[in-house]
Amino acid sequence: MPIIEVTNLHKVYGSTVAVDDVSFTVEEGEIFGILGPNGAGKTTTVECIEGLRRPDGGSVSVLGLDPARDRAEVRGVLGAQLQESELPEKITVAEALDLYASFYPSPANPAELLADLGLTEKAGTRFEKLSGGQKQRLSIALALVGNPRVAVLDELTTGLDPQARRDTWQLIEQVRARGVTILLVTHFMDEAERLCDRLALIDGGRVAAIDSPAGLVARVATEQTLRFRPSSPLDEAILTALPDVTGVSRDGGHYVVTGTGNLPYTVITTLAAHDVVAAELRMDQASLEDAFVAMTGRSFEPQAAA
Amino acid sequence: MSTLTKITTVESKLFLRDTTSAVMTFALPIGLMVVFGSIGLGEDDPEAGITKAFLPVMALALSAALLGLSVLPTVLATYREKGILRRLSTTPVHPGNVLAAQLLVNLAALIAAAVIVVLLGAVAFDLGTPSNLAGFLVAFVLTATALFALGLLVAALAPTGKAATSIGMLLFFPSMFFAGVWTPGDLMPSWARPVRDVSPLGAGMEALQDAWNGAWPDGTNLLALVVVTVLAGGVAARVFRWE
Repeated sequence: MPIIEVTNLHKVYGSTVAVDDVSFTVEEGEIFGILGPNGAGKTTTVECIEGLRRPDGGSVSVLGLDPARDRAEVRGVLGAQLQESELPEKITVAEALDLYASFYPSPANPAELLADLGLTEKAGTRFEKLSGGQKQRLSIALALVGNPRVAVLDELTTGLDPQARRDTWQLIEQVRARGVTILLVTHFMDEAERLCDRLALIDGGRVAAIDSPAGLVARVATEQTLRFRPSSPLDEAILTALPDVTGVSRDGGHYVVTGTGNLPYTVITTLAAHDVVAAELRMDQASLEDAFVAMTGRSFEPQAAA
Repeated sequence: MSTLTKITTVESKLFLRDTTSAVMTFALPIGLMVVFGSIGLGEDDPEAGITKAFLPVMALALSAALLGLSVLPTVLATYREKGILRRLSTTPVHPGNVLAAQLLVNLAALIAAAVIVVLLGAVAFDLGTPSNLAGFLVAFVLTATALFALGLLVAALAPTGKAATSIGMLLFFPSMFFAGVWTPGDLMPSWARPVRDVSPLGAGMEALQDAWNGAWPDGTNLLALVVVTVLAGGVAARVFRWE
């Protein structure tokens, strides 16, 4: 049975359609990503799953429960980390965790959770004195303190520095290793590519595609590009003769070879056979961003620092 | 420990850690008592229609007004602005528990301030104690509920914590004027007296002074307090949003 099942979800705010038609299922134990530009309807979708909003059409089920009708039951098994949600300035880390633990019938051990999240030293620190990364880790701890079966994490790493983002990613993988199913909302391509088992690309309130990150890329990845500087003069003909190669061009001292199939292997073995070493070798493959552009017909919006 | 008890315990700690609210609640009434008590303002002045009930009643009414019109709405509006109430909505606990805890904490602070004021008046400045204790308690409870209901209304209408503070202050200063804080007893201009009798802080102070002096609070004052509580509380309950 899928942990989360969203079918033809539709949600309107006044005359604005926030979510037009979204369907997907999340299986037990996976990290499922919802990826899309700002305003695509990602947050509204998860708010319907969290029971914070009532769908105008379609249905949502979490472990077979309806978040709008079975509020209490869903809240007992689902941990949420909200975008831009804070705590009282003067509450300490330990107090917040202890308080939230008291809301659930069989909570996690707050002290162990603090240790897992590297917050033990900050237990007595007030919320206002925490760094962005520490606040984010506390927010994850609060989402997990009820021992949920599903954790919904919305824009987890927005506003974090690169190191804090990598630490947070590692943390999410640890959480999944504990058996928690994770629904991750993000507008960061690299985050989705790194963490998610499967992804729903959402644009304009609709699902553009659902697949693994590699699967999404493979759908659009028809060409690869190799760029290198040959160690000795090179006859282009030996490359253009290769079946996988579709084009060869020169850019100063560099060669740019485009092609399909197992391009890197073919090109490098051929060069080696002619005693040429490919220096400053770089390979470009289609990314998730290319996949998004190809599937929605428009570019991903510049990432706003929300 | 029940959820409400747990939340109330945490909210009490947060209340005490916030210097502004602690100073407003305790230091201000004590300071007023000491300063005005020392210069003899606490004595009867029959010609001006001022009794010795005025000073302690004013001190504790100021505490009630600051807690109800400023501290309570600012905290609640800030909690909503920062998504704290919304965050609670994703747990099995309803955010209404935080609202209830805030009311309890502010009420406890007000009771503590009232006890300090009464003791200080009796011991240090010979102001006596409320002669009609039952009447005093009724007036005290109704004053607190009227001001707290107004506070909830401010919290319901204010989009941010800062806005709640501003609206609270806009209500606070006219309330003080019409309560006769600067023009006690017969010093109040006659045109303002009808407003004093029905404005929440004015009616509250009149009722508390009457009871302090041994009489039963005037029906008009008590009715005014009940009407304010019902109206402000009713509108607040309708328009209050958790997010």
